[in-house]
Amino acid sequence: MELTNIHLVAGAGFLLAMVLGAVMNRTNFCTMGAVSDWVNMGLNGRFAAWVLAMGIAVAGAQVLELLGLVDLQSSIYRTANFGWLGYMVGGLLFGIGMTLAGGCGQRSLVRLGSGNLKSLVVVLVLGITAYATLGGILGLLRVNYFGPVAIDLASHGVEDQGLATLLGGLSGMAVGSGMRWLIAALVALLLIGWALRQPALRSSVDNLLGGIVTGLCVVGAWVITGVYGLDDFDPVRVESLTFIAPTGNTINYAMTFTGATINFGIAVVLGMIAGSFLYALLSRSFRIETFTDRTDMCNHLIGAVLMGFGGVLALGCTIGQGVSGVSTLAAGSFVAMICIVIGCALTLKVQYHLMDEPGFFRALLRGIADLLMPWRAD
Amino acid sequence: MTEFTRELDTSGLNCPMPILRTKKALKDLQSGEILKVVATDPGTVKDMEAFAKQTGNALLEASTEGDSFIYRLQKG
Repeated sequence: MELTNIHLVAGAGFLLAMVLGAVMNRTNFCTMGAVSDWVNMGLNGRFAAWVLAMGIAVAGAQVLELLGLVDLQSSIYRTANFGWLGYMVGGLLFGIGMTLAGGCGQRSLVRLGSGNLKSLVVVLVLGITAYATLGGILGLLRVNYFGPVAIDLASHGVEDQGLATLLGGLSGMAVGSGMRWLIAALVALLLIGWALRQPALRSSVDNLLGGIVTGLCVVGAWVITGVYGLDDFDPVRVESLTFIAPTGNTINYAMTFTGATINFGIAVVLGMIAGSFLYALLSRSFRIETFTDRTDMCNHLIGAVLMGFGGVLALGCTIGQGVSGVSTLAAGSFVAMICIVIGCALTLKVQYHLMDEPGFFRALLRGIADLLMPWRAD
Repeated sequence: MTEFTRELDTSGLNCPMPILRTKKALKDLQSGEILKVVATDPGTVKDMEAFAKQTGNALLEASTEGDSFIYRLQKG
């Protein structure tokens, strides 16, 4: 077989994802765990690790773009099509789903690598749902109800949904490259500065390592697809790490292997599992875990469906929108990321109150009250 | 070293459920009483330690027994 550009890009993506999978296994990096730690015990170390990853990714991706090395504009995040309802509803559903399923797509891949067969079920159901949402039966729902309400920024004279472009469009000012550097620097400094001010991040080598490596891997992925993979004759899509649609593509790839071509996203999904698996073997932490509880299995299945549907609707997961998307400074990525966090926090609260509340709606009301008035929450 | 007031079994459950259930169970205990938690999720090792430290409940024991992780928390 002759190695073409796409094979080289996929190979590099696989190696990068192996490093990330191993590090995420070691450091317990988990965006759902990040929200859970904060909501349930007032500890924001893992949340700060996530924010640190965002900050590093913004800094790296923006430097690459502003130096003219990577064309972030051609990625899926910063288009002129502002699908606000998809970002919001998709984000909320994804946040609910990742809480019910015990972790987001990234975390499920890592846990699958370390022997958790509950995660295998989540990954399979998530991937199939994602595929059904991309072009299958759920795709109709997405296209018919969420597509029409999207705002076409171009018809308002705004080229794209990047923060700098939006600011220019709203203020009527021309936004030059100086302004773009300034906005990128401000956002990166704000994110990194806030994260590093949190003692729970600074005092934990694992949290620092998880955040830094995640951020660097997202930048590395932009370099792989945008610089290394740049080939006019054999182009690859400019993309970074994301785990929902690619999980669906991976399942499809496995089933149609002889007639299919690998791509960057598939290689990253496989690399994450492989990296986590190797780390689990080397650290002797590999262990088979299975479902033992009926409610728990139902929750995981519902969670996987919500993540597959919500993740495609919102154009990404906690890493795809939450770090890769955010690194392009697309407004929609921030909306999706915030909605994921809200969906997750609310679900944690509802699950907590459901333990002693008679009905779902009372638990839901108490959960909403807790989020609106955190000082009064348990 | 093995006495406890109440036992909570979270076997088979993953993050966030063991911590959510522990939090709820501790809420119903009096100060000084001891909650024994059984878990199978390896993630609880770090979580339980952080939870105890952060919420001011003493982690009296963290051990393994076969495939299970055993914790004893004293309500602060």
